[in-house]
Amino acid sequence: MRDGIINEIYKVMAKNENTYLLTGDLGYNTLEKIENDFPKRFIDVGVAEQNMIGIAAGLALSGKKVYIYSIIPFLTMRCYEQIRNDLCFHDLDVTLLGVGAGMAYGILGSSHFALEDMAILRPLPNMAIFSPSDEIEAVAGMRYLASYKHPVYVRIGLRQEPIINDKNYKFSFGKASLIQRGLDLTIFTTGSITDEVIKASKMLETKKGIIPTIINIHTIKPIDEDLILKEAKKTKIVFTVEEHGKIGGLGSAVADIVSEFMPKRIIRIGTEDQVLKLVGTRSYLRKTLGLDAEGIYQKIIKSLS
Amino acid sequence: MSNDKNLTETAKEIRKYIIEVLRPKESHHIGCSFSIVDILTLLYCRVLKTFPETPKNSRRDIFILSKGHAALAVYAILCKKGFFKKGTLMTYEQDGSWLPEHMSTKVPGVELSTGSLGHGLPVGIGFATSFINDKKKNKVVVLMSDGELNEGSNWEAIMYAGHHQLNNLTVIIDLNGFQGYAPTKKVIDLLPIKEKIIPFNWNVYEVNGHDFKAMEKVFNQIKNSRNNKPNFIIAKTVKGKGVPYFEGKFESHYKSVDEKTKTEILKDLTKKP
Repeated sequence: MRDGIINEIYKVMAKNENTYLLTGDLGYNTLEKIENDFPKRFIDVGVAEQNMIGIAAGLALSGKKVYIYSIIPFLTMRCYEQIRNDLCFHDLDVTLLGVGAGMAYGILGSSHFALEDMAILRPLPNMAIFSPSDEIEAVAGMRYLASYKHPVYVRIGLRQEPIINDKNYKFSFGKASLIQRGLDLTIFTTGSITDEVIKASKMLETKKGIIPTIINIHTIKPIDEDLILKEAKKTKIVFTVEEHGKIGGLGSAVADIVSEFMPKRIIRIGTEDQVLKLVGTRSYLRKTLGLDAEGIYQKIIKSLS
Repeated sequence: MSNDKNLTETAKEIRKYIIEVLRPKESHHIGCSFSIVDILTLLYCRVLKTFPETPKNSRRDIFILSKGHAALAVYAILCKKGFFKKGTLMTYEQDGSWLPEHMSTKVPGVELSTGSLGHGLPVGIGFATSFINDKKKNKVVVLMSDGELNEGSNWEAIMYAGHHQLNNLTVIIDLNGFQGYAPTKKVIDLLPIKEKIIPFNWNVYEVNGHDFKAMEKVFNQIKNSRNNKPNFIIAKTVKGKGVPYFEGKFESHYKSVDEKTKTEILKDLTKKP
């Protein structure tokens, strides 16, 4: 997913001389082509995220389009107030490229996980959040965002995320995407865990004869309120699945919207309110935390009984 | 010399504007506004290229007040320069006004909303980088407080600007010796600042922040310097400068003034030569 996004940014930088890419000293083996071909507009700011966001703000205020690349916690948490005051309050054309969605960094440990990022960025005025499910969607989203002129956070995985969408996929920013139309229950999901949800739904179908509707909320903000309400109305229980904490992410966003209009049971599936000290690959961690297909299947079955 | 007299007159008028705006029952950042009046007067009358009729003119120099709590002094000089009317200045902090206590870009001539310390210099670096890459002549000036140097973001920025040789960037430190809770010497003693900045590859100047001639000399040196370093001016100032009632007093940082005192200060400012 990451390489597809960087390719799109390369194209924008080749076409538009007012485009910059800043990095907080990360992107080794990823950003070299951009560095070599646009040396003045590629800036390794150093390990200094507060300064990096401020510089991006100054560049944007002088009319530039700015991309910022870093690992999610450093990009969003270290410099949160700079994002709020400098980028959001001034509504600037800055795209935050956050790498390592959820537990993508697996063996690197909790410091590198991103399980609270959506929770802290959702409340910021003018901030949009794009959380692609695969490379096809990521590329389509970046093409749309090439002409977007406001702060936006892109929640990126790493590489080798499974492809879910087909090549003719029509992307629409701010509009949810229907993965499968079912009958019995509705699952809202986001990011690369969508793949696990699809697998879990196949298990539901073969083992229990349950066919869920699966909706991919790739734009967490502005979120597709109308569709969420429409789909919630049709189902007895609403499920949300995300590789993010249960507090403040997709599940909270859906609950905010639905609870304002109807009484409805909402089951949020995500990580719990705890520090993760587990060591292992992303797939091991998903499995252990009940966020792989089997775990999601079990949680849904349990909620239905 | 007559020119300096004009500066003195302008500075006095700015001080009067500030006093006029104060509302007796409320506390305002007074001392820290007065300490930068002379610096702002020199900047806006002699150093910065500004366009009051078209504030966003692409040839303008960029001024950022990073110590956003002293916005009142900037609003006063922007008003004096004709960016907006006196009547607008008089709405300062009132319900429905667009002039809050801390810097706001809603005010014509303001480049960056500030109020949280340590934001101005990184943003100034962004502007400076953009101008250098585009081979533009615009200058960038960031005014900060001495207490503000406690913020780590400034040191990230100081390292960066020196390394990247941003010679169109000037930082001014308003060295008034006080910060929010206590004297800077007591909280975190930063002195000597000069010796800390030079090794980061900056030109450093020390000057009396109330001496127009000396400050102008520094800006001329900066204009003529060809060594590709950013510029750091340590301007020694007096908190509450120009009004004996506030001068050098810690409590003037955030203070209210009753109507009687206000009248006395204004009378004093008017009659002084």
